[in-house]
Amino acid sequence: MRTPRVLAAAVTAVTALALAACGSGSGKEATAEPSPAGDGKITIYSGRTEKLIKPLIENFEKASGVKVEVRYDDTAKLAAQLLEEGGKTKADLYFAQDAGGLGAVAKAGLFAALPKDVTSKVPAEYRAANDQWVGVTGRSRVLVYNSDLVQAADLPKTVFDLKDPRWKGKIGIAPTNGSFQSFVTAIRVSQGDDAAKAFLKNLKDNDVQSRSGNALIVEDVNSGKLAAGLVNHYYVYEKAKEKGTTPDGLKAKLHFFRGGDPGALVNVAGVGVLKQAAKDPDVRKFVDYLLSADGQKYFAEQTYEYPLVAGVATAPGLPSLKDLNPPKVDLNDLDSLQQTIAIIKGSGLVP
Amino acid sequence: MAAGALLAGAVAVTPLVYLLIRTAEAGWERVAEELLTTRVALLASRSLLLAAVVTTACLVLGAGTAYLVVRTDLPGRRFFGVLAALPLAVPTYVAGFCWIAAVDAFEGFWAAALLLTLCSYPYVYLPVAAALAGADPAQEEVARSLGHGPWRTLTGVTLRQIRPAVAAGGLLVALYVLSDFGAVSLTRFHTFTVAIFTAVDLGFDKTGALVLSTVLVVLTVALLAGEMATRRRGARYARVGSGARHQAPQRKLGAWRWPLAGALSGVAFLSLGVPALSLAQRMIEGVSRADPLGEVAVAAGNSLRVSALGAALSVLLALPVGLYAVRGSGWLPGLLERVSYAGHGLPGLVIGLSLVAFGVHVVYPLYQTTTMLALAYAVLFLPLAVGSVHAAAAQAPPGLEEVARSLGRTPWSVFRTVTIPLTAPGIATGAALVMLTCMKELAATLMLRPTGMDTLATELWTQTSAGAYAGAAPYAALLVALSAIPTWLLVRGNYRELS
Amino acid sequence: MSSLEVRELRKAFGQVTALDTVTLGVPEGELAAVLGPSGCGKTTLLRCLAGFTTVDSGRILVGGRDVTALPPEKRRIAVVPQEGALFPHLDVAANVAYGLPRADRRGGRAAEVLELVGLAGYGRRMPHELSGGQQQRVAVARALAPRPPLVLLDEPFSALDAGLRAELRRDIRAALRADGATAVLVTHDQGEAMSMADRIAVMRGGRIVQSGPPADVYGTPADAWVAGFVGEAVLLPAEVRAGQALTALGKVPCPAPDTAAATVLIRPEQVELAGEGVAATVEREDFFGHDALLLLRLDDGTALSARVLGGMPRRVPGERVALRVRGEARLLG
Repeated sequence: MRTPRVLAAAVTAVTALALAACGSGSGKEATAEPSPAGDGKITIYSGRTEKLIKPLIENFEKASGVKVEVRYDDTAKLAAQLLEEGGKTKADLYFAQDAGGLGAVAKAGLFAALPKDVTSKVPAEYRAANDQWVGVTGRSRVLVYNSDLVQAADLPKTVFDLKDPRWKGKIGIAPTNGSFQSFVTAIRVSQGDDAAKAFLKNLKDNDVQSRSGNALIVEDVNSGKLAAGLVNHYYVYEKAKEKGTTPDGLKAKLHFFRGGDPGALVNVAGVGVLKQAAKDPDVRKFVDYLLSADGQKYFAEQTYEYPLVAGVATAPGLPSLKDLNPPKVDLNDLDSLQQTIAIIKGSGLVP
Repeated sequence: MAAGALLAGAVAVTPLVYLLIRTAEAGWERVAEELLTTRVALLASRSLLLAAVVTTACLVLGAGTAYLVVRTDLPGRRFFGVLAALPLAVPTYVAGFCWIAAVDAFEGFWAAALLLTLCSYPYVYLPVAAALAGADPAQEEVARSLGHGPWRTLTGVTLRQIRPAVAAGGLLVALYVLSDFGAVSLTRFHTFTVAIFTAVDLGFDKTGALVLSTVLVVLTVALLAGEMATRRRGARYARVGSGARHQAPQRKLGAWRWPLAGALSGVAFLSLGVPALSLAQRMIEGVSRADPLGEVAVAAGNSLRVSALGAALSVLLALPVGLYAVRGSGWLPGLLERVSYAGHGLPGLVIGLSLVAFGVHVVYPLYQTTTMLALAYAVLFLPLAVGSVHAAAAQAPPGLEEVARSLGRTPWSVFRTVTIPLTAPGIATGAALVMLTCMKELAATLMLRPTGMDTLATELWTQTSAGAYAGAAPYAALLVALSAIPTWLLVRGNYRELS
Repeated sequence: MSSLEVRELRKAFGQVTALDTVTLGVPEGELAAVLGPSGCGKTTLLRCLAGFTTVDSGRILVGGRDVTALPPEKRRIAVVPQEGALFPHLDVAANVAYGLPRADRRGGRAAEVLELVGLAGYGRRMPHELSGGQQQRVAVARALAPRPPLVLLDEPFSALDAGLRAELRRDIRAALRADGATAVLVTHDQGEAMSMADRIAVMRGGRIVQSGPPADVYGTPADAWVAGFVGEAVLLPAEVRAGQALTALGKVPCPAPDTAAATVLIRPEQVELAGEGVAATVEREDFFGHDALLLLRLDDGTALSARVLGGMPRRVPGERVALRVRGEARLLG
């Protein structure tokens, strides 16, 4: 019994000490019950990078007069943080890169269901069945290839062709990435677990090259270090932007798989509203803004993602969402997600 | 003093308590399922192997550089004395990024080992240089007069004199390697820490990540125990008796002077030149807009502020631990000093999560304030400060404090007028070291910073994760430039010894 | 200035008894030496007096004031440690003024005590700019500055070379006298104790085995051990009858009651080489310049020593001499 008491005393003392060291401390005051009237302020945990969405948020602030505080981190780490914080989180809204992060938080029961009039703006396959979260934009899985190293005629018809010896050591993947994981889920759902296992094994046997993120794959494909790689479509646009050119000016080109191939999965970036902010009108304003024509147009033009709300055009040069031919996968299927993870872990492609 | 040390120990074990609670919650079945696998054994052996190789390399490189700079007639030794400390200012994730861009297929074990060695050998160089400058040359002279050659004297006497410094530096490096994520993830060498991050990234599996982290705790304890075992009981390395200490003679390097200077230049090029050139190239190639100067300045200001706060809190907590370790008796002081290392072998992600839990459940008003962030820094980097305070306190004989009290001064007055002035250089060193490390820290900073606050490290992460390398360059450059200030503070102490 | 009274002090470290019922009194203005070999408890006694170590039982009174339970800073007992105890970050003046009340630190007291120890004008020097002897002088000045009722000196001269030591002892003794300080000197050096102290307390195994003026302790040691510790001793078995001790050196006057079997003490300086007397063989000569110690063996095998003045002809081993005893023999209990 001694230790806890010492610890408690220590903890108290640390607190006092830290307070003394910091004066009044900083940050906003904790408010257990956010006022339903809205305090003109919302806090977002964003797994989307600041570079991409900061202008959007500034636009929203200007349009609505609501002050937005954003905490940026990886989607997965923010999910972990939200799970640790539980009901005491200071977040009002979680903006995730992929459905997996949203699903993990939803499963812990931290989200409030979104009103039907919000979710109904988005096609059913891009939102949670129980309205716990809603997709904001879509991103398609693609094969990015170097046009010097690969002729258009030699492009694989399906991802399963990547086991061909001519791709040996030339393909890049990001196996720890959320979008890769959804993609493996797509294989499992469409072709079965054994097919997914075999696919990963074939990749590994074909000396597939692992990278920690999609951007690094695009970089290596563009520079010719890799011939091709499995990524999300918009990374090529990001790279072009950084190089001060258009996607046409890059060696890295996009190849969309057809015929419902799992390699053409469309995943989402989306938002969920934390329970304690369910009735906050400012939060609702922000969700509405994301799904408004302005918000959707911003993503289409600035981040080259697919708008999910009808009536907003995709970026020039991209096939439209309707023309894509993605596999049918339930992005909500979390138990399925755990099975996918087990398969990826078992493949030896990740530590 | 004992109370202060206990408090610091309590702060240091916060993440362990958290891990214990979460692991217990996970249930034994889950724990067994996670841990009793060949994968865990493989990852652990990889982490240990990497730690062993990097630590050995750092000991050779760090101690060798220190010897050349302090004890020989190496040309430009002062210049090299500063250069050898500067890699501390380069975060592994920046160095790794630069190396990958510069060298094809920069991946795997040796790439990770090279990166980590280049980034962390100053942890050995700094304390060893200080110890060499302070060691009593008379003992070496006695050894020579007893017929030992220069080599035998070096291994038999000099190395023994500086052993505590070497061991302390080596321990820091080993723990750093265990907890590092930047270098190993970029070079795609899958260590335990990568597995922990992967558990979170891949499966949003916080519990799995935390259960895995307990293995790192075990490895940390094993390293600490190993270091203790190599320490002979009650051994004293300081000089005994009186008489003035005189300056150590410089070894003449002869024909080796320039080749060795060339070798040190080579190391400096690899550790500083490659990242600098690579960053410069990115800056020229990219067109992404650098943030307005004001924003950069705010981030720089925030970095300095939170790092200074972290350093201050760490030193405040380290003072009682270090002093108690030197002055106290029995097993408790030594144990508390060891305990202060608890957080150093854990990745920032785990420390971050543990303090999220601590913040949310225990000190909610502090949650997501700079205070909480400073506390996280203290948990992570306490050993850096403790080591410096310990070394300084060992230099200040306890007899002085007793005399001061017998002259009618209260303990507090004695602490203020004798202990603090005598340990001040050590305290400053510790503070500089912690501040430097805080500036680079990313994972815990992201998780615990006040919402909306950017530092140089978080901005660098923001820019690079969006592929905006040109936009990242000013932050990287500023991070390294600002880190050079505390680095200068660190080497200045050694400088004084040299002159 | 005032006196020191130590009453039945006890201190044990685990199983080891460091102080075993130590009782000691030092009158005002006097210097008492606590003399004993390493490990006898004298340093523990000093640390207990200073308050650095707590006592298990017993009382310490300074000028009638019970300080046993007080922390060091409340005792007003100044300490002069063995060596290296100047504050290295303070100059000499600041070192000396350290124990003075804030208001007095700029006054003349620091200069006064510096002058007392022969270091007038050294105030601005840093400790590392001083020789070992000068550093000890500063340490004494620092201890004297706040006019403490009691000054403790912990082997303050042990680290200095012999020539310097004698001079410093004289000067420090003079300074302590001039300031009227009551002092306790802890030492293992009997010469130091004899030459400086007004009284000596000999310690052994945590007990004070004898105390008194130096001449008494030397001349009338309590037992054979004390006799040997405070000087060279010749111990001879003897039979005492009618004020005469019958020894291997013949009859020596001995003012003691008759005893059949006893041990008597003769100091080497009492043994003279004479034209005639008891025959002995020289085994070795330890030559000191001003005098020499001869190690001798009587024909019956008894070993003894004799001190002879310098300037006498050197003796070689094997030489035969005749011995005679001056003065009286002391019966040892």
